[in-house]
Amino acid sequence: MTTTSVSKELLLQRLDGLRQIPTIPAVLAPLLRYLQQPVEQLDVQKVTDLLAQDKSLAAQCLQMANSPLFGRQRVDSLRGAVVSLGFRHLSDIAMSCGVMNMLPGDKASLDPVVFWEHSLGCALVCRTLARKINLSDPTKAYLAGLLHDLGIIVNLWVLPEEFRKAYEIAKAEGVPLHEAEQRSLGFTHCDSGRLLAENWGLAPDLIEVVAFHHSPEKSSHDTALVALVHIADLLCRMSGLNHGYIEQRQVNLFEDTSFGLLAQNSALKDFDWARLTFELDSYMDEVHSLVRAIYRA
Amino acid sequence: MHRRCKRRRPQRAPPEPDLVRIRDLVYQVAGIFHPDNKLRLLQDRCGRRMRELKVQSLREYLECLTIRPIRQSELIALLNEITIGETCFFRNQPQLDALRRIVLPNILQIKSKLPLRRLRIWSAGCSTGEEPYTLRMLQIEEAGGTLKDWVVEILATDLNERSLAHAKAAVYGNYSTRNLTTAWRQKYFIPQGDQFQVNPLARSNISFSRLNLSDDTRMTFMKGMDVIFCCNVLIYFDLASKRRVIQHFFNNLLPHGYLFLGHSESLYGVSEDFRLVHLPGATAYVKGERALPGGKSI
Repeated sequence: MTTTSVSKELLLQRLDGLRQIPTIPAVLAPLLRYLQQPVEQLDVQKVTDLLAQDKSLAAQCLQMANSPLFGRQRVDSLRGAVVSLGFRHLSDIAMSCGVMNMLPGDKASLDPVVFWEHSLGCALVCRTLARKINLSDPTKAYLAGLLHDLGIIVNLWVLPEEFRKAYEIAKAEGVPLHEAEQRSLGFTHCDSGRLLAENWGLAPDLIEVVAFHHSPEKSSHDTALVALVHIADLLCRMSGLNHGYIEQRQVNLFEDTSFGLLAQNSALKDFDWARLTFELDSYMDEVHSLVRAIYRA
Repeated sequence: MHRRCKRRRPQRAPPEPDLVRIRDLVYQVAGIFHPDNKLRLLQDRCGRRMRELKVQSLREYLECLTIRPIRQSELIALLNEITIGETCFFRNQPQLDALRRIVLPNILQIKSKLPLRRLRIWSAGCSTGEEPYTLRMLQIEEAGGTLKDWVVEILATDLNERSLAHAKAAVYGNYSTRNLTTAWRQKYFIPQGDQFQVNPLARSNISFSRLNLSDDTRMTFMKGMDVIFCCNVLIYFDLASKRRVIQHFFNNLLPHGYLFLGHSESLYGVSEDFRLVHLPGATAYVKGERALPGGKSI
């Protein structure tokens, strides 16, 4: 999907002109930079110290660490969480809490709780799928799923009224949000998300996930990761982990572009899509209660 | 002991490994999957069987299902427990909504070019009849709208004579009718003491007959189907029989046809020919080769 030059200019103008451009939470910037290093060079204590700088973030991390979605053992301290969950899991959680605090509190259009239920659900499906088909680093897949809809945050901040209209159209017609945005705004959350992701200095493969998760064939860095997020996003939108409405259409994964992009992965040949779909059900209750608990925290 | 008591969020205990093994066995053999949030339900069902067998632990019960001589009959007993009480009117609302809002419009669009405006829907393994009557009620609701000028044939078959007799008598208690609103009960049922009988309008135009899905000769005659519902029936078949039945369904369905299975029921490992499709809150199977109606991008 292309952004018309006029609307992109408008978007850039708004982004430049407004002070409330979402900034990456202070703790997360160094954390993200730190995560770019090879895993064997990462230090668990350093991550714990980074997180401990933000008390509310640390509290939310603990809440997540105690959810069955992430851990099985009760933990009472960040250090305990690191020991119990391992470094990778904890960074998943830290990222989730960090970016969850960024949505405007206004519930006029898209309820932040619903948005994060979808993002967290998508992150979990990405992680599971990545593990099952040995496609990508599960942590990176999780992060990609969590951040794929960053553009919606931008739209909510920068063009709240215009975005509300697009969202209402999507909901009323049961069509994908990006289609309604394209029709009504002239660009999609993929375009605005890309600007934010670049502004934040996210890794190139994550920028591509944000920019191309509805058109994975356009990606060039890690096409398989973008295709994986595309599929996980679709499964969530067709289930109870949607954007607050369920799309009224039929999805045939086997005829989807992303399926072709992943076709070289041998684990996909006999992959049990039905089981993955049923497993989504088990995330739903946990995701709902976890996101609500975090927003109450 | 600490004097200060910490308030802890209630947590779900990690699933017992033996229960997970039973879940995987049931899925492998019967194609019914219990996600983590439904494992408690499976555990209750196993519990009933364990009391019956006087078995103390899930580990021991797993042995009953896998290595003891009773394993085959016990698996069927467990499957009966799993599906007990499954039959009711409007059993799977997302599936029915998907039929009405997505599947039927897709099929009508394809068939609208044909001179004969006729649909055939088959409830294969209709048990006591709740499913075909639900389909008939939906058809009546749509008769003035989507299905205007279309003739809809509903075929309902089952192996069990007693179930069929119950289906034809069309008298149901509170349990079967628990999902129905008062308005629907008034519209489609006649009270009979503390029970309800489906009214003549909703009883009309359904053809009930006895059919064994393993009867290859008779199965070849079930031609020209647009939609087949076969919910919680295949679970009782072994893999070879299941494959044969599914191959029949494939041949029974028109090229644009849909196969619906029960909730959390899968064809994984059974058929290469059918393709899983995702509908809002539900799944169905379509024939593999055909393109999506309308070819809509995703």
